[in-house]
Amino acid sequence: MGYFGNVFGGFGSLLSGMSVTLRKFSQTVIRRKAVTMQYPKELPELAPAYRSAIKLIRFEESNSHDCVACKACERICPSYCIKLSGGKVEGIKKKRVAEFEMDFALCSLCGLCLDVCPTDTLEYSKVYEEAGYNRDWRVDLLAEFRDYEEEFVAKQRVIEEKAAAEKKAKAEAAKKAKEAKKKAEADEKADNDSKEELS
Amino acid sequence: MPQTLTQLLDGSVLAMPIAAGLIMGMLTVNVLMLVWAERKVSAWIQMRMGPTEVGPFGLLQTLADMLKLISKQLITPSNVDKPLYHLAPLLAFAPVVAAVALFPFSESTILVQNDYGLLFVFAFGGIAVIAIFMAGWGSNNKYALLGAIRSVAQNISYEVPLILSALSVVLVVNAMGPTLSSGDGVVAINGLDLSHIVMTQDQQGIWFVVLQPIAAIIYFISALAETNRAPFDIPEAESELVAGFHTEYSGMRFSLFFFAEYTNMLIVSMLAVVLFFGGWDGPVLPGPAWFFLKSYAVIFVMMWVRWTFPRLRFDQLMTFCWKVLIPLSILNLLATAFVIAVL
Repeated sequence: MGYFGNVFGGFGSLLSGMSVTLRKFSQTVIRRKAVTMQYPKELPELAPAYRSAIKLIRFEESNSHDCVACKACERICPSYCIKLSGGKVEGIKKKRVAEFEMDFALCSLCGLCLDVCPTDTLEYSKVYEEAGYNRDWRVDLLAEFRDYEEEFVAKQRVIEEKAAAEKKAKAEAAKKAKEAKKKAEADEKADNDSKEELS
Repeated sequence: MPQTLTQLLDGSVLAMPIAAGLIMGMLTVNVLMLVWAERKVSAWIQMRMGPTEVGPFGLLQTLADMLKLISKQLITPSNVDKPLYHLAPLLAFAPVVAAVALFPFSESTILVQNDYGLLFVFAFGGIAVIAIFMAGWGSNNKYALLGAIRSVAQNISYEVPLILSALSVVLVVNAMGPTLSSGDGVVAINGLDLSHIVMTQDQQGIWFVVLQPIAAIIYFISALAETNRAPFDIPEAESELVAGFHTEYSGMRFSLFFFAEYTNMLIVSMLAVVLFFGGWDGPVLPGPAWFFLKSYAVIFVMMWVRWTFPRLRFDQLMTFCWKVLIPLSILNLLATAFVIAVL
């Protein structure tokens, strides 16, 4: 390429570059395809595996969590950020947690507590706007459940009484059946005996 | 029939303040809108949204920025050359305001009628170079000085192809005939009179971009360099020189430089419209509307170029000017002269 070839070739390449930017420009203007997310006005859709502070799951059937205060999570936590206590509750058989405090400042989001939970009642929450003015990040995980606790205990009692009643009925039925069987066997035996006598 | 605003206000004490106020008001609005447009265009090219919060579509964003700049303290660094340092922003700002007054917005809307308007516009452009060098030298700062040196070298080099390409248009205008019918009747044609250049295009029914395409392209490229815009923005290359010649300036002094820069954009695009795109010539809409529509179209292309190409290296910049633009513009001028002589 000579001098003029260089000049005009170069000019052509400039034009092709400008066509690229014009295409992007028109895409943004006409098809409104700006990639910006207007953050406080529109919120991001978090990934399914997004990890934030742990929380207790609210189950639909009981409208509450299912923590039995076994302390497995407290024992396995490598950062010692879980503190919980609890135990027997008046009126029901099931154990319940009374205090469940978690220090998010210490949490490393390893997820061991989720794995170890026997009732699978822990999960990662999806909160992310967590800026604060101090270093106190202790979260009361039971805060949203306290109002429902009485309701839960009442429901649980009904369930347990029902279960107990069913069990009793079943046991009685089984006993009856057993007695009937015994009787039948005895009868049969008596029959056989009389037959033998006859013969 | 009042030909120009100066004639209309002739003899009135208020003539000067009114004309100055008109120009300043227009230029302020222009700069505010241009900065907004620049940010919007760059955002859209990069698939972003640009300013959206202040006012509708973020239109008042620049106004807010300007108010902030005005309210800032004027800082004078301790070791600057005080007279130069204080004078430079004013000297950068005044000539661009003066140059705008020379443009014919339509046949009857000319603030200052001057027979040698084209020369004056280029002369005012030359003063801006001095202002930039004063700022760089007076700041007593290595980045400012380097930026100023680069700026002077660049502006002086690129003025050559700029003027040569404008000169080929002047040749064509002068060749179009000895006389021209204007509002005053038949007058002798004068290729250096901005309104004559437009009237010639109007009456011949052809824009000079068709007759002088190479001159138009060379003019546009040199104009980008004259206004220190990307890809020729090495005087204020922020990745190497902090902010170039206005490194030490802040507050309102800085915004005067900024004002001058964006008004310079308007000036070179208005000159491009006058020289190559038929000025106020256009159907239906009134003359000034066409004039500004075309000017802002040229400005849009300037922004488009800025957000497309990377910055040139300094030696590339000089090579491009002296080995490509100047030979080509001289060739173009000679070819024009030859064709005119033959016809």
